Amino acid sequence: MTMGARVLIIVPAFNEAGSLPALMNELKKECPGCDVVVIDDGSSDGTREVVTGMVRVVSLPCNLGIGGAVQTGLQIALREGYDLAVQIDGDGQHPPRELYKLLEAQRTSGSDLVVGSRFHVAGEGYKSTLTRRMGIRLFSFILSAICRTRITDPTSGFRVMNHRAIRVLSHRYSEDYPEVEALVVAHRAGLRVSETSVHMSERTAGTSSIGSFKSLVYMLKVPLAIFMDLLRKPEIKFHD
Amino acid sequence: MQEHGQIIVFLFTSAIFALVMALVLTRKITERFAILWMSISIFLLLASSLAFRYLFLIARVFGIPYPPSALFLIVIFGLSLLVIELFSWVSMLNERSRLLAQQVALLRDALDRHVASQQDPARPPA
Repeated sequence: MTMGARVLIIVPAFNEAGSLPALMNELKKECPGCDVVVIDDGSSDGTREVVTGMVRVVSLPCNLGIGGAVQTGLQIALREGYDLAVQIDGDGQHPPRELYKLLEAQRTSGSDLVVGSRFHVAGEGYKSTLTRRMGIRLFSFILSAICRTRITDPTSGFRVMNHRAIRVLSHRYSEDYPEVEALVVAHRAGLRVSETSVHMSERTAGTSSIGSFKSLVYMLKVPLAIFMDLLRKPEIKFHD
Repeated sequence: MQEHGQIIVFLFTSAIFALVMALVLTRKITERFAILWMSISIFLLLASSLAFRYLFLIARVFGIPYPPSALFLIVIFGLSLLVIELFSWVSMLNERSRLLAQQVALLRDALDRHVASQQDPARPPA
């Protein structure tokens, strides 16, 4: 773990009552020095109730989508002066035991934002649909060219951000399908983005938020958003 | 345009004008949009009466063989601008409601933590 750094683990959750208790127990076991906040994104299945008393829960009054939920967590991290913020999905796909790899990669590389990749090491097995893999590969190619570093899993929501990335992304975070765009926003703000290899599991409960029609919208929306981000002047810019 | 046609357009635009006024008075639309709709009704009124003869000129300039089509072209263009304006308002309101929802959640969290710290003094305040 990163020595002495205050770490906030942000868990965006929409109807994840089935998987959250086990995840919280594992987080407590694997990351005892970290604070955890669950952002309940307007769930209707009792997500708030199952984790109240275990960790801090912030409930949004309505469903804002993954982007709004993560941004709320980043606003807490910024306001309360955390050194690092970790985003981890509430569906159990991101094993807390892999968290140390992200924190270690951030510490050794000095990157502002480190993404946990399922595909960083060739041949590492994460099963996904063909269309999703093709989409990820396309975005990977675009992002790697823009950020001038190897990004193999730009859609991964398992990531760690330092105080500079927290500042940038708490200010501007895309509403829907935000993961890929966040990397472009970070890069445009002068932040260093890198990647490290992690293992991921299949979701333990609930359903994915991305269906077949949404996949099509995703494939159209994300490249457009990337293109627009490249044209816009960054609102916050760091000069190293 | 024939006289009875002009009367229909006049009545139609007057009705729009009156409806907009009623909606502003009951605060169902803001003055910003009221100005826009009043401008549209005045424009329609002018286009259908005083400026109708210029429609032939406009149609000739744009190469439109049937002059009333020029009026449709102008109206479609104006309505497209209006729809774009509405989209920009919806996007802005969406952004604002997102910010508000986040602030409500953070305030509720601070309040919950404050109440908890009052009930249990050993607990750190929010």
